[in-house]
Order: sequence, then structure tokens, then C-alpha cells
Amino acid sequence: MLEKPTWKSTLKGFLYLLPALLILIIFNIYPIIRSFLMSFYTDYDYFNDIVHEYGFDNFIAIFQDPNFITALKNTGIFVLGVVPISIFLSMGIAVLLNNKIKLAGFFRTIYFLPFVTSVVAVSIVWSWIYHSDYGLLNYFLGWFGIDPIAWLNDPNYAMPALIIMSIWKGLGFNIIIFLAGLQNIGEQYYLAAKVDGASAWKRFTNITLPLLSPTIFFVSIISIINGFKVFDEVFALFNGRPGPANSALTVVYYIYQKFYEEWQFGLASTAAFVLFIIIFIFTIIQLVIGRRFVHYN
Amino acid sequence: MVKDALSKGIIYLLLAFGAILMLLPFVWMISTSLKSPSEVMAMPPVWIPSEWQWENYQTASEVAPFGRYFINSIIVTILSTIGELLTTILAAYAFSKINFYGKGIVFAVLLGTMMVPGEVLLIPNFVTVSNLGWLDSYEALIIPWIASIFSIFLLRQYFFSVPTELSYAAKVDGCSDFKFLWYVMVPLAKPALITIGLLKVIGSWNAFLWPLIVTNSQELRTLPVGLSAFTTEAGIKYELLMAASTMVILPMLILFFIMQKYIISGVARTGIKG
Amino acid sequence: MDIRLNNLTMVFDDITAVDQITTTIKDGELVSLLGPSGCGKSTTLMLLSGLYKPTSGQIFFGDQDVTKMDAEKRGIGMVFQNYALYPHLSVLKNIMFPLKMKKVPKKEAMERAKEMAELVQIGHLLDRKPGQLSGGQQQRVAIARALVKKPNVLLLDEPLSNLDARLRLEMREEIRRIQQEVGITAVFVTHDQEEALSISDRVMLMKSGVIQQESRPQEMYKRPENEFVASFLGNPPINLLTMKKIENGYQLEKSAHSLLFSNLATYPKSIRVGIRPEDFFVTKDNPRFTGEIIHIETIGRDTLIRMQIGDTTIRALVDPVHQLKVGATCGLDGKEENIHFFDSASGQRIETVERGEKHA
Repeated sequence: MLEKPTWKSTLKGFLYLLPALLILIIFNIYPIIRSFLMSFYTDYDYFNDIVHEYGFDNFIAIFQDPNFITALKNTGIFVLGVVPISIFLSMGIAVLLNNKIKLAGFFRTIYFLPFVTSVVAVSIVWSWIYHSDYGLLNYFLGWFGIDPIAWLNDPNYAMPALIIMSIWKGLGFNIIIFLAGLQNIGEQYYLAAKVDGASAWKRFTNITLPLLSPTIFFVSIISIINGFKVFDEVFALFNGRPGPANSALTVVYYIYQKFYEEWQFGLASTAAFVLFIIIFIFTIIQLVIGRRFVHYN
Repeated sequence: MVKDALSKGIIYLLLAFGAILMLLPFVWMISTSLKSPSEVMAMPPVWIPSEWQWENYQTASEVAPFGRYFINSIIVTILSTIGELLTTILAAYAFSKINFYGKGIVFAVLLGTMMVPGEVLLIPNFVTVSNLGWLDSYEALIIPWIASIFSIFLLRQYFFSVPTELSYAAKVDGCSDFKFLWYVMVPLAKPALITIGLLKVIGSWNAFLWPLIVTNSQELRTLPVGLSAFTTEAGIKYELLMAASTMVILPMLILFFIMQKYIISGVARTGIKG
Repeated sequence: MDIRLNNLTMVFDDITAVDQITTTIKDGELVSLLGPSGCGKSTTLMLLSGLYKPTSGQIFFGDQDVTKMDAEKRGIGMVFQNYALYPHLSVLKNIMFPLKMKKVPKKEAMERAKEMAELVQIGHLLDRKPGQLSGGQQQRVAIARALVKKPNVLLLDEPLSNLDARLRLEMREEIRRIQQEVGITAVFVTHDQEEALSISDRVMLMKSGVIQQESRPQEMYKRPENEFVASFLGNPPINLLTMKKIENGYQLEKSAHSLLFSNLATYPKSIRVGIRPEDFFVTKDNPRFTGEIIHIETIGRDTLIRMQIGDTTIRALVDPVHQLKVGATCGLDGKEENIHFFDSASGQRIETVERGEKHA
């Protein structure tokens, strides 16, 4: 039982909170407000931190900027490319790993390895794998009679290259979450289904899938949100460029360009604000709709 | 029975094939990092170098100051992890064991801000840091990252499970609040703290975008930033690039192999992406 | 060091848990706070410890007013119902913990902790973690931890209620032995009357935040000061018969049974007469109560009978030598000094003044 709050306990409480609160206010809460305001800066002098004019011009400007539209489109394609494949693969692997096989722990470890590694470092490794003349991938494709592909220099292949690497990088995380979800499904359902004579496939579609649906939903939302934030991979894979002919220009990359390369703080903030709205919508979907439509046991 | 054995066999085959694909980039990275320039460009690819070129690592370190980057990464990782653990312990204690006016509101506001992606905070934080005169300094690399709402939330849940009688016993035994926190709560929450700490170490070590924008000078680059710059500096010497990448990746792989129990269970429990 | 409570009151929201308690616990005494759950006994203990601060009133340790002093400064030792041992520390470290907080040099702390472990007979378990100990062993560790810093007072909050019956008996004697060996003032909270009566120098029986009676255990049993005390103590419980005043004495409700008492200090309209089951004896010689036996049960060496008189049922523990049968009529009587009288209205005891006459 906690004692009732008093002024003394309030002082004590805030004293304990002080270090964390100080940092969080300066670097989390204040910037949220500031970022919102900045998106309305139409005339801003960064060096003297003076705002000459506020307005909606930035919103109009970025939606008229073909690059921003490209960035939105590319990010959308990226998410659509990564999320379904990654979920399909990771769920499949998790189901296989959940089969009480002996080396499950060993396999889990291996699949999880990319999670702990630097995106920048693995992107550089992948840029070597994607090398058009000496890359491993083209070498393997050569076994099947496929001609070398300029993965990183052909605008048609830059996005697939980014997607393949991102799936590889994020697979382990999804597998772990799916395994946790699978382990929450009671053995009794499977035993009952076996007694009823359901085949392995029937058991998967009638028990595993519905009971795993909250996990699938959770992983989807997390993957979508993370997909919209992709940056490091692009930067490192294409050596500090947004892919050939902006073919891998993503929203965060656009923000980075506007802000760090062009010093357009207002435009960058507006783009960040749009990103926030997109992510916010998915977060709300997760919080609200998820509870209603998904099968929780 | 035969059918069972067969399906088990197929499962192993599929998993092993996937595992090879997962491992291949690492193997290829290490293999390339130990090759001579001519073997790097050999077709068909050479998997095991005829002579292991350990000096590639040395050459890479000479072309760019990887030693310095390494030290920077270690400093930033260690200090921001310690900092985050300290602020988290104190805040989680306040939220779980002290009752005070405004607790609910403060907590709700903090939880609400978790919905805002860090990328959105990038620009105002950059302005703040530059106003503080911290651009191109350890302060900029460390201080904004020494508090995490998510960690506070996680540890608070853990602290809730400590029975109140234990705090009574500790008070009677002569503990002040702070001593109780330090001598009883913290040791009890060790598993949670290790998980929080490890996820922080991984995140901090691999962080890229923030260190990229707040550092200008070579002396302050962390490993990922240094490595990214190295791609331009080294040109197309893949054996050096792979050696440098290995230096960035290997410490985390080693950490993962030692502490994987905590990392995997932490990820499974929290569903957080590093 | 005496402990003095002066008008001690504790109010939670709108519930008064402790209501104006004034009492003194003497140096070296073991006092039990006894009562049903929610009577305020645990709250009183928490107030003594300093873990709760009273709404009003004072607490004195000796001459010192400690009312506002925090628990960690009061120099008390406390044993909790669920032991509250630090799960991450070994037994030795648990016992040393209070000394570490007092910054006692490590070597001395270790010696004292070991000494204390010997006293409570767990010297062989020092390296274990609490999770590896039985309930009784954990309780011993808890006692050692409470005593190691040589506190002024030892507070025990239902320390035996998590133990099984046999162990409870053993630990009860152990607590008494240790308390007497150390010579410490101790306050023991329990809802178990047998525990309170067997262990303590003095018992304080509480109800609704008020001390109903404080006295030596036997005295409380022999001379309950009100109806609540009489009914709370004893198993099987005391018989309480409501009697109305008639011309020559008192009559049992809805029965022709009447008794004449001439030795009461006052004679209210209605009284409650209390006789403990074991204070009855079977007699044919002018018994005070005569009725039909409706039930016989043999419990160990005693026979428990239920006798019906009008609407009233009496329980009595009688000597098995009497050949009693269900349905037979039987006479019961009790010694005068074992019959208690309470005012029906106030519940307070009515004193007897002189030898009265028997029967009407």
C-alpha cells in the first residue's frame, strides 16, 4: 500500500524524476512542440535563431516538390516490399523453429545475428555483395543463367536491393516476436485438433493463424512504422546518395537532405511533421482497431 | 514414423538453408577482409584466402583513425548506457514506489511522447544542441540519450513486483529511501537492468544519423560515422572496407554471443527494435 | 525502556483504525496485540515502528518523543508475516544488512551476525539464499536480522501465521526463549488467542481501534472486563445467556428458568451471564441449569455436550465418567467465581460484591 501523496512526498518524487525529466523535457518534449512550430516557419534565420514569418507555405511547398512525392512513393514501395515478405518468411521460420527440434536455439541465434549489427556496416557489406562485376549475388545468379545486374546503379534495381537487405536485417527480430507469440498458444488446442484428425496444414490454418493474429498484427504495425523511418540503410548502401536518380529517396532521407544539406529547416520540419502524422495514424490503428478486430485469447 | 522423420529432415534442411543465407554476408565480409587485392576481384569468388592478410586491418586503421573511432564509440556507448541506467533507476523508483501529486499526468505525458518518432525530433534537437554550443562534442553525442521513456516504463513494471513489506523491512533496518533503492531494489532488478543496458549498448554502438549530423571533426566520429566516411576515403578497396566493417560489427557479435539470453528474452518481452 | 502511547489515533480516509489509545509497555515485557482482523492491531504496530505516522497523539520511547521520527531512526527491530528477507542476499548478508546500514565495520558486523545466527540456531545455513530455506528457517533469519543491531524494541507482525501448525508451536516457544534471553521489550501482533495467551506477559485485546482490556493472559481469561473480551477468548466459546430481571432475581429468556443473584454490584434490567464450557460440572444436587442433552461429542479427553433450555443452547465440557445420553435430562452447575455478569446495554462487567445465595 502506497501512502497518500503529501507535499513532502511530491518533492521527493520529483527529485527522483529530476535527472530523467530534465533530459526528456529538453530533448523529447520541447522538440515535439518546437518541431510542430518549425513546420510553420516560412522565413527562418538559423544562425540567429530568428523567425521572420510563419505560415502554411511549407506544407504547400513540399507537396509541390516532386522529390517529396518521390520520397513518399519510394517509402511506400519500400514498406510494401519489406513488410509482407518479411512477415511471411519470419512466421514460417518461427513455426519451423517451434517444432521442438533439437537445434532450435542455435538456429534462432543465427537468424537473430543481423539484429545486433550496425546498419551502416552491414549495408557496406551488402554493397559489396551487390557489386555488379565481383559481387556474390550476381555470381550466384550466374548459376541460373541470369546476366549480371547493376543492383546499386540501375534505378530499377536499387529499391529491390534495399528491400532484400532490409528483410535480411529485420528477420531475426520478427522471428523472436513470432516465437514468443507461438509459445503463448496452449498445447491443448493442438492435442484436441489432433484427436479430431486435423492435418498439420489444417492445424496451422485453423489454430496457429487465428491465435497468432495479434502477433501478426503487432509485427505488421511495428514493421510498417520502422519501414517509414528507413534512412541508415539508404545512406550507407548508396554511399551517401539516395540511390541512382533518387530511386531510393525515402522520407527521412528527404528530411536529412532538406535539413542537413540544404539548411531548409522549415521544409525539413514540415516533412518531419508529415512523417509523424503517417506514423501516428498507424500507432492509432494499432491502439484502437487492433483491439477490436484481432483475435486475442 | 518414416513420415515424421522425413518432415523433420525437411524442416532441418529449410532451416539450415536459411541459416546459411543469414550467415553468408558475415562470412563473406570476414573472408574478404583477409584477402589480397587480387583475390578480392577473383571470379569465381575465393572463399578461403590463400594467405590471410591480417595487415588489411592495420592498413585500414592507418587510412582512417579507426582506433580513435573505436575509443569514441566506447566512450559514448558506456557513458550513455550508464547515464540512462541511472536516470531510469531513479525515475522508475519514483513512478513505482513514491506517491506524489501530478504523478499520473507526468507519466501519461511521457507515455504519449513515445508515439513521436525520434526522426521528428532531429531538427529541433540539432538547433538546441547548437544553441548550447555542443556541436562536435561528446556532450552532443551522449547527453540527449541518457534518458529513455521506454526503459523507465520497463523498469517501473519490474519494480512494481517488489513487495511493499521489503521496503518496510529495509526502513526498519535503517535504510533511507535512496539506500533501499540502491541496496535492495537495484540488485533485485538486475535481470531487467541488464536487458535494458544491453539494448542500450547495441542501440548506442550502432547509432548513425544523430552522430552523423552533430559531429564534423574526425576526432569525434563514432565507428558507424567513421565507417561511412571511410567508403569515400578508402575508394574501392573492398578488403579494407570489409576489415573496417568487421571492426564495427564484431564487438556486438561477441557481446551477443555472451549475453544472448538477456538480449533475446528482452526483445521477446518488450518488442522493441534496437 | 518503557514505551508510552498517549491518545494515539490513526485515521485512513474515513476509517479510524486506531482510536485514542493510551497505554504503557514496560521495559523487557512481551506484549501481545490481539484482536480480530481490522481491529487496528497491525496499524498500532506500524505506528510504533514509524512506518506509519499517527493522525494525532504521541509515542514515547522512554522519555523521548518519537512520534515524528522516521522508522530508520527509531532503533527498532521488526519481523514480518512474510519474513521480508532480501531475496538476493545470503542468510549471513541478510543478518548483516542492518549493521551495514549503521556502518558497523565489516569484521565486527560479521561476528555479531554469526553470534545472532547461533542464538536463533541457523548457524549452519549462513551461505544459503532465503529461497532455499523452509518457512521456519526464514523466520529465524528474520528474527536474527531484527535483533542484530540491538534494537530498543522488537516488533513482530503476525510472525507465525505463515507457518504450519506444528512449526508454529515450536517457533512460538523459540520467540519467547529468544526474547527472554535478550531481555528485549517486544510487541507481538496476532489474531490467534492461543498464541497471545501462551507467549505474552501481557495481552492487549483490541476491537475497532480501541483497547478492550489489557492484562496478564490468565487474568484476561478469568476476569474479562466486557462481553467482547469474554466472547473473543476461549475455545469452545463462552456461553452467554441473556436474562431479564424478575422480582427475585433473573430469568432466562423464554424459559421458566430463573436464578437468584444477591451479590451483584448493580442490578440492570437485562444482563448477560457468561460461563465457560469447561467451568460447568454435572451435578444432581440443586443444579443451576437443567435441560435436555441434544448432542454429545467426544474431543480427546473431554466430552462436549449441548444442552437445550427453552430457546437457549448451552455448551459444556464435562468429565467423561458421567454416562450421559442424548435425550436425557441433566443438571449443570458452575462455581460462583467462574460465573461472569455483563450489563446487556453496555456490555461492561458487573462486579460481584459478596457471597450470594444459590438458586431460586
